[in-house]
Amino acid sequence: MQRLLWGIRQSLRAPSRNPRSAVVLGRLLGAAFLITFVTGLFSHFIQNPLPGMRFLTRPVWLYQVSQGIHITAGILCFPLILAKLYAVYPRLFQTPPLTGFRNLLERASIALFVAASLVEITTGMLNTYQWYQLFPFPFRQTHYALAFVVVGSLAIHIAVKLPIIARYWRRRDALDASGEVAPLPVDLEDGDDTAGRRPLPAAGITGRIFAWVDGAPQPERPHLARRGFFAAVGAAGAAVVALTAGQSFRALDALNVFAPRKAGVGPATLPVNRTAAQAGVSRVASAPDWVLTVRAGQRSRTYTRAELAALPQHDVDLPIACVEGWSQMARWRGPRLRDLMDAVQAPADAFATATSLQKGSIYAVSRMEPEFARDPLTLVALELNGETLDLDHGYPARLIAPARPGVLQTKWLSRIEAT
Amino acid sequence: MRSARILLVVLGLGLLAVGGVVLLQDVNPKRYLGILTWFVGALIIHDVVIAPLVFLVTLVGRRLQHRIPAAVLAIVYGALAVGGIVTLLVVPEILKKRIGVASSSILPLDYGANLAVFWAAIIVLTALAVLLYRAMARSVQKTRSPSTQS
Repeated sequence: MQRLLWGIRQSLRAPSRNPRSAVVLGRLLGAAFLITFVTGLFSHFIQNPLPGMRFLTRPVWLYQVSQGIHITAGILCFPLILAKLYAVYPRLFQTPPLTGFRNLLERASIALFVAASLVEITTGMLNTYQWYQLFPFPFRQTHYALAFVVVGSLAIHIAVKLPIIARYWRRRDALDASGEVAPLPVDLEDGDDTAGRRPLPAAGITGRIFAWVDGAPQPERPHLARRGFFAAVGAAGAAVVALTAGQSFRALDALNVFAPRKAGVGPATLPVNRTAAQAGVSRVASAPDWVLTVRAGQRSRTYTRAELAALPQHDVDLPIACVEGWSQMARWRGPRLRDLMDAVQAPADAFATATSLQKGSIYAVSRMEPEFARDPLTLVALELNGETLDLDHGYPARLIAPARPGVLQTKWLSRIEAT
Repeated sequence: MRSARILLVVLGLGLLAVGGVVLLQDVNPKRYLGILTWFVGALIIHDVVIAPLVFLVTLVGRRLQHRIPAAVLAIVYGALAVGGIVTLLVVPEILKKRIGVASSSILPLDYGANLAVFWAAIIVLTALAVLLYRAMARSVQKTRSPSTQS
């Protein structure tokens, strides 16, 4: 068994599979993980604020850019993690498989780290494709919990590998006099590689396979192979970002051929996440007797759509920025939320709780901090890009506020309460 | 270094604990088996399917390297890696679109056709890179050979 593992590990040797590659890729992947973690936390807490949390309302594109970075960095993790796993794959066949309790803990923590990381980025990607049926778990909660598992495992992984990271951090320390990557010092090696270090007899099936593999010589120009490896990682990273990031960053729209959203595609040239049919509101939202109720304590007022349209109207340019990463600027028109709040004498520090006609969804109700509720750019929008709001965009009226995720821009408004 | 390592382990364990608490509070225990299945599945898909497949491709390259210059091999590997990773991201879109989407603005593009164009572009670019390399290698040889003869 040990010989088999050793044989596999020998066969898997390759110029790019060295500690320096692992450290260089680890730095990039670690940075990408931290960026997705921080932007992910921002997105989480703006949707589920802890008591007393307050948020910036400017720049208006704050959430748009933050979530665009979250999704784009998440996509970039795919080439990086595959390259990183390629660089360290032979370590899977460590001989002997376990050298002690410490080694068991280390290997278990790496298994957890790798599994959690792969599941985290894959669920994130499939969620942007809205392929929810594949998840035997709730996406949001699981994605959030695993984010901590990934970053926690990352910290432990860095702690365990710190001597190797320090040894190979700088290029001039990592290379020996001949310009080759210095082999891992014996005291930093996992397991005892001498255990199986005997040539395998070329007998038996495994022996023959190894002899055949070893007959395939190692690359003649390892330096070139390493350069080629990093060039390929760079090219793959550039390709996945350039061909998808247009959904979040308009400058790259022309190159967007693979993102799950395309700028300009949807009713009133704006993409839709949840349709009226999906939300089950098509009939009630089109009903002629629709009214919006605004309440503050005992005082309440109702508005028909015509009455809302008769109030002072304001035009604002604000992006719709989805948690799924796509975003698009749009022009909205309607009365200011703060004017409606003032009409029922809501206190200046009141939160606004908006309730949709939509039932039974966690997005049917959104709670808005006072800084958003009083913002002059926050509207009860009646028009979008010069047209009456489309049913799928939230007709008869929806919220639109700066620097907030699309799921909180409640559509098909029914009630607004100052609390 | 010792104190940095201890600090990182403590920080890591703390974050893992937060993840565990979130999992306990927000995810129904009935779903844990599903998460575990995904974990094991992810490891199997990478360690037993993707990585050995990549190994086989490099093995073919190693067998052919007497006939193919190392630089050409590196270009071909790079092209296969870029194409493979993009394909991995795009195939689920093609499948999901076939199953059906809730609105016409979700997965609105023709991903299959775009992927085919992308692969065609990769093949053309790879061929150009190989031709360019061979032309350069030949001109280097030409400039070298007169000097060796003189």
